[in-house]
Amino acid sequence: MIKNYIKTAFRGLQKNKGFTAINILGLALGLATCLLIILYVIDELSYDRYNTQASRIFRVNEDLKLGDNSVQYAVCMPPLAKTLKAEYPYVENAVRLKNAGSWHVKKGNSTILENRLAYADPSLFAIFTLPMINGSPSSALTEPNSVVITETTAKKYFNSINVVGQTLLLNDNTPFKVTGVIRDVPKQSHFNFDFFISMSTWPDSRSNEWLRSDYNTYVLLKDRTDAKKLEASFPALLKKFSGAQMQAQVNMSIEAFEKSGSFFKMNLIPLTDIHLKSNLSGELSPNSTTQYIYIFSAIAIFILLIACVNFMNLSTARSSNRAREVGVRKVLGSDRKQLIAQFLTESVLVTFVATLLAFVAALFLLPVFNQLSGKELLINGQSLVWIVPSLLLISLIVGGIAGSYPAFYLSAFQPVEVLKGKLATGFKGSGLRSFLVVFQFSISIFLIIGTLVIYNQLNYIQTKNLGYNRNQVLIVQNVFELNRQAKTFKQEVKEIPGVINATMTGFLPTSNWKNTSIYYKDATLDQKKSLFPQSWEIDEDYIKTLDMKMVLGRSFSKDMPTDSNGIILNESAAKFLGLNDGINKTLYRSQGGKHSLDNVKQYHIVGIVKDFNFNSLRESVSPVVMTLAENTGALSIRVDTKNLPALLSQIKDRWKELSPNVQVNYSFMDQEFDASYRMERRTGQIFIVFTSLAIIIACLGLFGLAAYAAEQRTKEIGIRKVLGASVSAIAGMLSKDFIKLVFISIVIASPIAWYLMNKWLQEFAYRINIQWWVLVLAGVAALLIAVVTVSFQSIKAAIANPVESLKNE
Amino acid sequence: MMQEAPMIKITNLEKFYRTEEVETIALNKLSIEIATGEFVAIMGPSGCGKSTLLNILGMLDDPDAGSYIFNDIEVAHFTERKRADLRKHNIGFVFQSFNLIDELTVFENVELPLIYTGVASADRVKRVEEVLDKMQIMHRRNHYPQQLSGGQQQRVAIARAVVNKPKLILADEPTGNLDSSNGNDVMELLTDLNEQGTTIIMVTHSEHDARYSHRIIRLLDGQSVMENIMV
Repeated sequence: MIKNYIKTAFRGLQKNKGFTAINILGLALGLATCLLIILYVIDELSYDRYNTQASRIFRVNEDLKLGDNSVQYAVCMPPLAKTLKAEYPYVENAVRLKNAGSWHVKKGNSTILENRLAYADPSLFAIFTLPMINGSPSSALTEPNSVVITETTAKKYFNSINVVGQTLLLNDNTPFKVTGVIRDVPKQSHFNFDFFISMSTWPDSRSNEWLRSDYNTYVLLKDRTDAKKLEASFPALLKKFSGAQMQAQVNMSIEAFEKSGSFFKMNLIPLTDIHLKSNLSGELSPNSTTQYIYIFSAIAIFILLIACVNFMNLSTARSSNRAREVGVRKVLGSDRKQLIAQFLTESVLVTFVATLLAFVAALFLLPVFNQLSGKELLINGQSLVWIVPSLLLISLIVGGIAGSYPAFYLSAFQPVEVLKGKLATGFKGSGLRSFLVVFQFSISIFLIIGTLVIYNQLNYIQTKNLGYNRNQVLIVQNVFELNRQAKTFKQEVKEIPGVINATMTGFLPTSNWKNTSIYYKDATLDQKKSLFPQSWEIDEDYIKTLDMKMVLGRSFSKDMPTDSNGIILNESAAKFLGLNDGINKTLYRSQGGKHSLDNVKQYHIVGIVKDFNFNSLRESVSPVVMTLAENTGALSIRVDTKNLPALLSQIKDRWKELSPNVQVNYSFMDQEFDASYRMERRTGQIFIVFTSLAIIIACLGLFGLAAYAAEQRTKEIGIRKVLGASVSAIAGMLSKDFIKLVFISIVIASPIAWYLMNKWLQEFAYRINIQWWVLVLAGVAALLIAVVTVSFQSIKAAIANPVESLKNE
Repeated sequence: MMQEAPMIKITNLEKFYRTEEVETIALNKLSIEIATGEFVAIMGPSGCGKSTLLNILGMLDDPDAGSYIFNDIEVAHFTERKRADLRKHNIGFVFQSFNLIDELTVFENVELPLIYTGVASADRVKRVEEVLDKMQIMHRRNHYPQQLSGGQQQRVAIARAVVNKPKLILADEPTGNLDSSNGNDVMELLTDLNEQGTTIIMVTHSEHDARYSHRIIRLLDGQSVMENIMV
């Protein structure tokens, strides 16, 4: 029986090559997209799961509220890790990681700038599953100036992985002993380092301060320990340690601190939640968000549904051909169940072929998709283990869903009717069919609106006036490598023709240098009048070089000796403190240590700078204060030249004269800016590609649908033509029904899209408003697509010879 | 005189077609008996209810009132499934427009009823080849319907109708789409089948074809108005 079904299905598909091609192509495209999205989503969900102890590993986060400022940190106090291990028997182990920034590493006679270095406690390898190929995991990070490197790094510097005991020269040619080589950290890890330097190398790691946070701290709980148990003990712990230090340093009890509305809290986040659910201050690398997982999964389901609807519509489009077959089979003794089985077999078969095609397509598209998404997704033996069964399952499910409507619809034909050539209903008749059309159109219109909004928002981010000018700014990194010569370098660079100005500091709107400090509005250091801003060290040329605007007062100046105690606020800081006209007013900053007025530094406000964006545009501008100090993090150079290469080589020459052994490292500010939005842009691009695919698939469906409508009304068209209807009248008549459905879809989809996209936009502190024309454009586009696809079929039907259609009785 | 119970006995059979405003009577208290082995022709003008009668006799449709006894079983109110079951074992159909499935070859078309009655594969091949041989279209067994002439297609359709060895063949204007020579061939085939014991009921417009039958039932407005017994 099955053999007969498959045979009939196969020959039928072969006979209607056009339909079959559209059908299989649409499904294959949908399934391929779906497969890629599944790979993407699974990759995102698999972060940190390579750790065999993942379920027992937690990171300690800190929640700080100081007056009206609140910050959530992914980092904790220096002594926390060892204290947790010592105080709680159910804490099996604890480890700290600290991002070490960029270091120069010597290779032969040259140096290479490495960015992926971290300090780590010796317990690292007992907690995380980072298999060591060479060396002893338990002792590798014990001694100061030890370093554990990854396999790739070992090969890069030594051409070998047997390098334990060798020496690497880091930074100022400081020797580090390689004490271990580990396998590369898996891509799906929330931290990705090539060098793990022993924590003992970093003197600050021995600090006993409980009032500052700068170490990413992880705990490994003993088996069957409830994380809530540890969390519940945090308040007492903080009171004991942080409270004591607060009392000593600021002369304030933790109770009084909390009474003033401030607090100090810690909580645990499961290791496997970090990548998707944590976007705190002090993350080891930028994380993703579950939002994208939801959006992409939704798109995958939408695309599959659209492809299924296509299948249903295209299958019913063939119904008048199939009706006679149904009739004959019924007359010959087939019951309805057998016919349903036959049609389901047929659709599963089609889906299966489409799935095979989709798999091949996905294989070919994967490199492109990887480039687009910045991922390294793989289809290999390992992933095939789940891909093959899930593809089979998908083709069964999709085939079942897609085939169900045609199966039930076609098998219900009465043989008496169909053998007479009468078909049950015309195109207008079926509510379900209209519903399917509206459903498909609504999704398409929704996706068009979504794409337009996302495109506009991303475009807005790229072109928004950020309060500074990122174009034509060259950044020479790590000027501190020139030591005392840094200032000379700046002077020399400023004299090069084509250089407009230059400012020396690592605190740039596009850089990761961040520093926060507490400032008080009055000398009593009352917390309620405190500010917890970004505190940046800049020079006199900063405002001018970066093209920032002063709204009040002036920038720092060489001619004003008192500027060493001057401070510039951004608008947000001024507003926060209620100092919008606060020129010459005073701010106080605790120097640390004993909490008294002699231990406080005073600043007078010299100016207020217009707000500029330095965080993601998802967040609003937070308060920034700037003081005059030497910071040699980078030299930013505003240039004005058509001959950039010449200028660059001159700058390089100056650097070489001052420091022949260290390579100069430079970048452009606009590129750095773009880099910080790479994730956003990528997501946007993926979204646009996927929605375009969805729209293409929907169009394929429309095409089939139009054919269906025309076919259903062949006889009517013939009669109308015999009675004198013109081609255009008939084409118009056939298109009218569709246009009506598109209008209904616009009415349904627009408000939903408007609402949901507005919700998405809420994530951005700086966002566009959805303009009315976006909705109109999406509607018009959908109409246009519909009219074009439908009229192709309508005109074909309208110009057909009526004699052909009428003699069909 | 002891008489064998008739194969078909319909009594006061009624069938209406309703649209929103009009009710059309297709069969009006029609009563007919047909004995096993008979060859009956049903004639009458368009709309007299011939096709409706044939559909009900073939259990493709059910009557609105009256009784239909087929081989001593009352089938008038059978469910669709039960009718389908009875039908596939007992009745073969021949249509004016052949109604072969385009996607299947001659062999596969004829095989189809055997598949639905669950005949084993080896047995099927034997029986299909037997009947194709008898209809003299064996040489066309792997062709598709579109590759055949009308006469050949109708022979395939008859082969398909008889392959299950039905007791009854219902033919709806079997020569309507054929030229007279092919039409005569088809009538000869039906006569042969009848002589071998198959009961045949045939709807026709053609007095010529009707002459092959034993008895002509003439319908008008859903009622039997006259019966001619052929000699």
